[in-house]
Amino acid sequence: MVDIEKLRKEAKKILKEGKVKYIIGYTKSSQNFSASPVFITKPEDTSRLIWNPTCVQNLVKFIVDDKQKQCKEKEPDERPIGIMVKGCDSRAINVLIQEKFIDREDVYLLGVSCEELGVLDEKKIAKKLKGGKIEKVDFDKKKNIIISTKDGEVKIPIKEVLAERCLECRANFPVIYDTLYGEKVEREVKEPFKSLNQIESQSFKKRWNFWAEQLDRCIRCYACRSICPMCYCDECVADSINYAVTPETTAEEKAQKIQWIERSPDLSENIGYHLIRAIHLAGRCIDCGECERACPVDIPLRLLNKKLEKAAHELFDYDVGFDHEKPSLISSFKDEDPEDFIR
Amino acid sequence: MTKDFEPKIVAFLCKWCSSAGSDLAGVSRMKYPPNVVPITVMCSGSVSPLYIFNAFQKGADGVLVSGCHPGDCHYIKGNFYARRRIALVKELLDFIGLEPERFKMSWVSAAEGTKYTEIIKDFVKDLKPLGPQKKLRRDL
Repeated sequence: MVDIEKLRKEAKKILKEGKVKYIIGYTKSSQNFSASPVFITKPEDTSRLIWNPTCVQNLVKFIVDDKQKQCKEKEPDERPIGIMVKGCDSRAINVLIQEKFIDREDVYLLGVSCEELGVLDEKKIAKKLKGGKIEKVDFDKKKNIIISTKDGEVKIPIKEVLAERCLECRANFPVIYDTLYGEKVEREVKEPFKSLNQIESQSFKKRWNFWAEQLDRCIRCYACRSICPMCYCDECVADSINYAVTPETTAEEKAQKIQWIERSPDLSENIGYHLIRAIHLAGRCIDCGECERACPVDIPLRLLNKKLEKAAHELFDYDVGFDHEKPSLISSFKDEDPEDFIR
Repeated sequence: MTKDFEPKIVAFLCKWCSSAGSDLAGVSRMKYPPNVVPITVMCSGSVSPLYIFNAFQKGADGVLVSGCHPGDCHYIKGNFYARRRIALVKELLDFIGLEPERFKMSWVSAAEGTKYTEIIKDFVKDLKPLGPQKKLRRDL
């Protein structure tokens, strides 16, 4: 079990000593079922920190935001940021360090272990409640979640409502941390890519029908891009809004600013956008599932990234985010890389 | 319809090997289908996945990426990077349900004019029964 009191004490200590400029963690939210992110700057506020399976968010995005803000400041506060990281989030930190976007010294990691559980899936719970509105969420010691609704209490084993990604997770405890809370529980994941099986077993015609139906819904709100801790480019290839083609635009200008993906949300453009996003996240996506959670139209975006994770694992024996000293997936190669598809 | 269908292939050929290979096929007067639109790039490693997706979006029925044999790259290791990247693109296109025959990669050296013509011949032969590629295509 994660000893939250110990975590709060450590958080209080590092804030008092001025070791960190602030701490990003989870706190009880006022209305929503899931915990909400919180920025703690005063030592006395550390009692607000919590840890339970409703802490679904990946807080690493805030590190990325802070780094980008620092670049624009004249005298940035270069002290590290304290952050609570789960197993998946710690791998995101690892990838950012690997890409030299941040240094190891930029963050103070309060690692929390998910142990044999993980985080909850809001949609699965909603299905169980059949439309009931959540008023209060509690957990008992036997790993059950107790949800109070208007019509009374419902008791569900946490294992039944875990997010799909947590069932396939191969790092249920942080791989990089300064202080660790909870135990490193080894657990066996028999099929780390189980969610792909259903689609992969279909014919390509059916697969296409599935994706065409899913991606046709995309409204190009770019929520997936905004929430992703790995999408930190200053200018995204999908954005060319600051560029208008007029009759006066010269051929040279057009050649220099190519609009690869058009803004209109039609199927072809949507596929172009999602494919290129998946490719840009190949060997970087740590499967935190935030894109899927943020998607307002419920596109199973995670699967695209998961597919490439699987390809990296099977073809190149590359696992994302476990070692920040290794070169990244597409900036390295091996002589024995498969080439049976090449003539 | 399928009988009259002539597929359009976009071929990204590296400047140092494959492009010279296709040139050799030309100057040697070898016969091969005229369905291919060659685009010379500096290296197969410089072919961004965006080029490939965009070629399909703009109505290509098939895309070929061709570079030097491993170890022969003018930039020493560009084609090794390409090999990895293209493998990922291929997995992804396969996953969303594009026919695997539509996207190919090959190693063609400057001396392999015959191999180049054979690759194009087979590619056209594979693409003809599939009909036009409408999945990724933009509605123009």
